[in-house]
Amino acid sequence: MRFKASIQNIHTFTKLTTSLNSLGPLAWVKLSDQQVCFTIIPEQGTQVWAVLQIDTIFDTYTVQSAAGNVINLEVPLTSLTRALKSALNATSAQIRLTKKDNVPLLALTIVTTTSSNHAAFPTGTRNDEDGMENFDNTFGSGNRETIVTQEIPVRVLAPDTVAGLHEPQTREPDVHIMLPPLMQLKSVSDRFTKLALVGAKNGSTATRTRLEMAANMHGCLKMSIKTDAMSISSVWTDLTNPDLDPSHVSGGDIGLAEHPSTRMKQLGSADGRSEEGWATVRIDGRDWGKVMSVGRLGGRVIACFCHEHALILYVFLPSDTAGEESVLTYYVSSYSA
Amino acid sequence: MVVLNFTLTPEAASKIHDLLVCLGKFGDTVAIEARRERFTFTALNSSKSAYAALTLDGAQFFTHYECIPSQGGPDGRFTCSMYIKALLSVFKSRLYDPLGRDGAIERCEVSVQDRPNEAQCRFIVKMVCNQGVVKTYKLTYEAVDVMHALFDRNVAKNRWSMHSGAMREYIEYFGTKTEMLDIVAGEDGRAVFKSYTEKISNGKEILKHPLVTAVAVNTSDFEEFNVQAGLHIIISVKDFKAIVMHADTLKTSLKAYYSLPTRPLQFSYGCDGLLCEFTLMTSGDYNAAATQTPTPAPQVFSREGSRTQSFNSERTENRSMRSDMPPPTEPASRRTTRRRNPGSRKDSSPKPAAQDPDSLFVGQDEGRDEWEPLDYDKAEETLDWDASADHGSVFPTFRDSGSLSRTETEDSNEALPPTQRVSQIKGLW
Repeated sequence: MRFKASIQNIHTFTKLTTSLNSLGPLAWVKLSDQQVCFTIIPEQGTQVWAVLQIDTIFDTYTVQSAAGNVINLEVPLTSLTRALKSALNATSAQIRLTKKDNVPLLALTIVTTTSSNHAAFPTGTRNDEDGMENFDNTFGSGNRETIVTQEIPVRVLAPDTVAGLHEPQTREPDVHIMLPPLMQLKSVSDRFTKLALVGAKNGSTATRTRLEMAANMHGCLKMSIKTDAMSISSVWTDLTNPDLDPSHVSGGDIGLAEHPSTRMKQLGSADGRSEEGWATVRIDGRDWGKVMSVGRLGGRVIACFCHEHALILYVFLPSDTAGEESVLTYYVSSYSA
Repeated sequence: MVVLNFTLTPEAASKIHDLLVCLGKFGDTVAIEARRERFTFTALNSSKSAYAALTLDGAQFFTHYECIPSQGGPDGRFTCSMYIKALLSVFKSRLYDPLGRDGAIERCEVSVQDRPNEAQCRFIVKMVCNQGVVKTYKLTYEAVDVMHALFDRNVAKNRWSMHSGAMREYIEYFGTKTEMLDIVAGEDGRAVFKSYTEKISNGKEILKHPLVTAVAVNTSDFEEFNVQAGLHIIISVKDFKAIVMHADTLKTSLKAYYSLPTRPLQFSYGCDGLLCEFTLMTSGDYNAAATQTPTPAPQVFSREGSRTQSFNSERTENRSMRSDMPPPTEPASRRTTRRRNPGSRKDSSPKPAAQDPDSLFVGQDEGRDEWEPLDYDKAEETLDWDASADHGSVFPTFRDSGSLSRTETEDSNEALPPTQRVSQIKGLW
């Protein structure tokens, strides 16, 4: 079993692990020849299935194993994130799978060069008789190269262990819509969640922070919260409902014509005032706050609403190269009314 | 009857704050020893594995310093012990502020009231602030006998020195919650600082194991590096972080002196009349010094095993003359001579790298990030009406500088900060 890669996009990698870490402490990482998968399945709350193209984060990537060159690892995300953060200013960073005292580790080797001005600081207590030597010390060691090794304990998962893990299956969505900038969405949802909690503190019954999310096929997204004391909602309009690609819909053109979203297009209006045409799900405000953490990656987000059933977010990471994209799929946990 | 009066500039008072913060990471109390020409703060941690002595020079550190101990002539001293928290509530952060904002002082006057004709003995601190405001704090103290750990630098042949700013960078790489720091002098021209935790765990627990971080530094990057190659010496990473953080507030070089594992190690730094010395217990295999062991030697980091010998400070003057290291162990009976507040020596363990909570700067703290999920459980979380700070002008902002009339519903005040007139939010209830 061998895994070795140099990290080419440390910022993306760090943001990725930080976002995932807000949903769960452990990730199942599947390394294969074609792609790198990160999966978070928390005991409750939103699941993430992320499929990354290798070049999104890695460079000179080797993975070898007896099980078809696939390595499955369980990785503690807090440690991984912490380790990656120490590489943010690195000149190079390498990651490899290794073993120490029979404990499997992901070893991160980071080379940093600091052109420091500390040495130029007058060190008042230094009493060198030789002034020239002092001078050399001051200016000779301008560039400090430091090698940092971070060892993250991991667990190697046998193919049998992960064979039973499947991505959730959902029916075709009723509405798919491009979300507004997540920072905007997050601040509204955070506010709503707080309001729900304020209501709860003042003695009303609801300690739950259920948000209602709804969208239609006319570019509208609605987020609302109802408690005993209040009912508030925010509506976004003029969002984009991306066109479905017939080649990706089962049944091709016929399938597309019968697709739930085609039917939903007949209903509702673009100003968001119509009662009709909304696909609605109820989600937990706190959990949603954790999902929104993915905004730091700055990708396009398409939300797929299955009315009263499920909400799925597809986060497409920005990439320089054409071809396959890296996608994070969030299966947002939702509630019935 | 003791006479102890001194005056501090705002800069010096803020240095007192910094050093108290540092000492607070070792123990709950600080011992004070005032002599005619110098003033020393000392602290010893609960496991007696770390001893700190921070000496302020009477002439250099203070604008005015006067100490006449009641007895003992020129070698006489006044000693007492105080709670660090009590002192920190007086020596707050931001005492020194060139712009004279809130909290800034003009000078600080300290005197000790310890006279037979007074009913109370008090440590009196007067903070002279702007506009003629004088804040007077009277603190209680406990008379104690102050002991010092001896350290013989003549025996400590292994030495290095590095600027605290660079050290500070290295400690930032260390994972949180690690316990030990192994300082290795490699034979390849590199020194390695390795933070790790000795813990036996198995199965799923292994994933909770803290990071092991090794920082390899070219010995040429040190200002001085003179250590036997292959030598491992192990200290507590928490102590090390506390020391480096404090040294970095002074922007000086940090010097280390040590001989062998299980023998004490001393860190020393200082400037402008402030000399800081930390004597730490070390562990590691002292036989393995010459052999190359990539993994650290078995731990002997026992709670009992303090190798720092303590003597009454009358003898510290002689320490440079002593040619031998103190004997390795200290009779337990000896330690009881040090009077302590019962329970006051609990090993306080604040996060070593914690940022100054009063700092004006928004830190690069990893936890604080606009993308982080909100922590709704925080007690002080209230509605945040001022949306301008983070979100540009996306949301309209309410601002109200008018004072809130307290006669209106008290209940609502719990939930809303008083930046909002209640009249504006009518309709929500």
